[in-house]
Amino acid sequence: MFLTFTVLGLVLGAVYAIAASGLVLTYNTSGIFNFAHGAQAMIGAFTFYQLQVVWGVPTLLAVAIVLGILGPLMGYLLHRFIMGGLRDTAEVTKIVVTVAILLGFVSLSHWVWSPQDARMVRMFFGADSYVSIGGVVIRYHEIICLVAAAGIAIGLRLLFTKSRMGVVMRGAVDDPDLLRLNGHDPERVAAIAWAMGSTLAVLAGILITPVGGGALEANALTLLVIDAFAAALFGRLRSIPRTFVGAVVLGMASTYLVAYAPSNWTWVTNLRDALPMILLFVVLLVLPQDRLRGAAVRTRERYEVPTVRRAAIWGVVLVVATVAFRQLIDDSSVGTLILGLTFAIIALSLTLLTGYAGELNLAPISFGAIATLVAFHTGITGQGLDARMSLTGLVLGVLAAAITGALVALPALRLRGLYLALATLAFGGIVSSMVLRETQPRSWFGHEFALFPQGTIIVWPLKVGPLDLGDQDVFLYTTATIFAVLGVGVIALRNSGYGRRLAAMKDSPAAAVMLGQRLVRLKLSVFMISTAIAGLGGILMSMALSSVTSDHFVYTLSLSLVMLTVVGGIGYVSGALFGGLIAGAGFSLIVGTFNELGSAHPEHASTFSIISHLILVAVALVGVGVAHNPSGNMSSIFAGHRFLAGAPEVRYAAIGVTVVLYGLAYAGVIGTWTFGILVAVLWMALPALGLWLRAERLLPPEALAARRGVPLELVGVDVPYPDGFGGQLDRTLGLPARARRATPTIPAQAQAPSEEGESHVRV
Amino acid sequence: MSASDILLETHEVVVRFGGNTAVDRVGIDVRTGTVTGLIGPNGAGKTTLFNCITGMQRPDAGRIVFAGEDITRLAPGSRARMGMARTFQRLELFLSLSVRDNIRVAGDIVRANTGRRIDVEAETDRVLELTGLTDIAHRDVSDVPTGRARVVEVARALMTQPRLLLLDEPASGQTEQETERFAELLRGLADDGLAVCLVEHDLPLVMGLCSRIHVLDHGALIASGTPAEIQESPAVIEAYIGTEVVA
Repeated sequence: MFLTFTVLGLVLGAVYAIAASGLVLTYNTSGIFNFAHGAQAMIGAFTFYQLQVVWGVPTLLAVAIVLGILGPLMGYLLHRFIMGGLRDTAEVTKIVVTVAILLGFVSLSHWVWSPQDARMVRMFFGADSYVSIGGVVIRYHEIICLVAAAGIAIGLRLLFTKSRMGVVMRGAVDDPDLLRLNGHDPERVAAIAWAMGSTLAVLAGILITPVGGGALEANALTLLVIDAFAAALFGRLRSIPRTFVGAVVLGMASTYLVAYAPSNWTWVTNLRDALPMILLFVVLLVLPQDRLRGAAVRTRERYEVPTVRRAAIWGVVLVVATVAFRQLIDDSSVGTLILGLTFAIIALSLTLLTGYAGELNLAPISFGAIATLVAFHTGITGQGLDARMSLTGLVLGVLAAAITGALVALPALRLRGLYLALATLAFGGIVSSMVLRETQPRSWFGHEFALFPQGTIIVWPLKVGPLDLGDQDVFLYTTATIFAVLGVGVIALRNSGYGRRLAAMKDSPAAAVMLGQRLVRLKLSVFMISTAIAGLGGILMSMALSSVTSDHFVYTLSLSLVMLTVVGGIGYVSGALFGGLIAGAGFSLIVGTFNELGSAHPEHASTFSIISHLILVAVALVGVGVAHNPSGNMSSIFAGHRFLAGAPEVRYAAIGVTVVLYGLAYAGVIGTWTFGILVAVLWMALPALGLWLRAERLLPPEALAARRGVPLELVGVDVPYPDGFGGQLDRTLGLPARARRATPTIPAQAQAPSEEGESHVRV
Repeated sequence: MSASDILLETHEVVVRFGGNTAVDRVGIDVRTGTVTGLIGPNGAGKTTLFNCITGMQRPDAGRIVFAGEDITRLAPGSRARMGMARTFQRLELFLSLSVRDNIRVAGDIVRANTGRRIDVEAETDRVLELTGLTDIAHRDVSDVPTGRARVVEVARALMTQPRLLLLDEPASGQTEQETERFAELLRGLADDGLAVCLVEHDLPLVMGLCSRIHVLDHGALIASGTPAEIQESPAVIEAYIGTEVVA
């Protein structure tokens, strides 16, 4: 028996090794860690299924199409259209773009291959073709896995040590400029690496499904990236041979675990699913600390920090707007809006952690799950419809989230941001595959209970003194207020010494350390504050949902929230609001609206269904667009509005129009949707509108002169001498700044290069 | 502590990269209240030695003693908290902060990481004044030209109220005028009791400013002494053949 399990473990290890080597390959040639690696494997496996099982294409031809065309093409296109544009962006942006691709692939596969249908992929040559060596049965399929892995190991070894191409590949990340100088094209090298990496992903995808039992399942395959990463960690994401060792260890460990664990340990299958993620934490613990290296490179992300006073004003505006908007919508929509705001609170944890401190949490909602469970077990009081959540439960839940945050982050904090991101993703996996599957009672610390009874829990609304969130309106206003207060708090934190230290750590860890900053302590504290906020948001989310299942904490939800928050602008509280509202309320609104349309017009139902699926895929494309606008949408909107400072009347007019529209909506003349869309369009288009109406007050003199075709030296002669011109001249001539006047600021690119010398910033 | 106390010493420090010995049994010292120069041709091992002193590089052999304590195995941050501050050759400014906040945050870090209670606001203003940065205090640090950005790094280091200030090529990117003002600033700091040590290529600056100079070549210490002694040392002249040594 032992030998049989060893062979099974080796086979699993071989497939992990194939997946992991692809990951290492792309990471080392392009510097981008591909979170969509598993999703690529998934697309490959489903395409193979479609060809072989559904369309009856001969197996060999199907393999040739998937490995020879789909894999390389997918990799090449990804690099050509997406990854190539990621130079000079922060690690967060790179991660989010591959996360967006992951989400895009997942929604694409759910669309084409409905997750409700069961699909089976058989082994190559079937399960009955095997050789028997000394009583150990080895199937042909397993031999193929082993041979493929060995071939890839030898091939990659030769590539990197013996071929010119391989040597160039190794240099592609370290110094692309030097490569270019030597007549190589780093982009071409990266494109080849991406093509190879995604072919390896696809190969792993079609090999692993029959090994794991044959059921084709999109989520499990997508999370193959974590298994591959755990293996790659053995080689610190660099060494291919060690990656293979890691993969085999991983494969063996999970096989032996299932084989030899006592049969009354019912949680072993869950543990097996979570094993790569647990092993990942173990490896993180023993990895040596990263060497401190200077790297203060200017990235393209730019965030302005508002003052606390401004933030407080906007906080009040948000609460007032929520109350006003409530009057326009019917009672059934209030729940959706609450859900959106609770998501926004979870997203706020990312503004602090990622926007201010530069660290990443890919499973914020999983921390919400922990908080929810603790609050559920400690805080529910009363019976029947009078049951409520107590403040104690809420506080304990939030504390639990913070403590869990510390435990998750500690192993990864000594290392780079990428490792923390992966540790959190692995944590999300552990929560889904172990914690949320604890649906049966079991003895915990002497008490008999189920962590997640029956897989569905009812989380009753909070009641503190006179405040009862059982009332929908009260719940809505309270959530808006909590978001506003936390938002102002986060901004106040950023403006404090603590916030400046976070910024210092984000900009240059080396310099912060050399000033005496203890990095681990600072990262730990900010991670705990952040997970506490995520925990609070998570409990509120569960209360808004009321009946909570494990589907509400699925990792893809966390990933879309992270992605949409980055799209909104992760350095801004408003970015969190944007991301939260879209992730929490926008999706369900869109899908709900199209479903309703579908049932109202059955003859067009399929069209509406396609449109709603298309929107879900399109959202991922929006995430990919982050590559072009890494500071986020809010940043662009703010930039436009800052421009309007010179012409306040434009804003007053816009406020007037908004009030009139509100009046019309309130009176029922226009619908709520129409109102929402009109107001959004009005405020987003306002900068352009202002420019059109009030160009002479908004544009810097040169731009204005250029518009009219007047040379700069004739400003003041042929055209009026505008207010802002004096300041502009001062800056150009390097004169000390005068006291600030209420003049339009001039966009950075319009500023002439300083006379004093070149800027020191490395771009 | 009198003006000539030895604050920092390296004993027989060795660093090997593969088969290449980058620093070979080097012993130098830096004294309180003086400016010490560390010079040598390209590849002499200056930066490697510098990294050993700041803790970014672990030496293969030898000891480093700072303020009477053996710090050879100490992490960079602990050294900083003991009163060691440095600037970076490739500038490491906090690009999302203003000039003032770059300096102020150093005070925030000291307050949060050591027991010292300093008045961050007042100290920031004092350092801005001292280093002559008040006029650009509110500028975005990414808009500041290299020459003055180097001064911002010095000002930031001064906020930690260090005993030893290590400067990695502080004059590169500065105009002649700026270098002059910079030398004046360093001289003043040394007069107030700070130990300053700089790695520098600008020989006129080093000769005019430093009271003691250590010369490295091919990883080995070939001369130590006053500027006058260094200029007459045959070993130094040989190492610098083809390079002009100017007073």
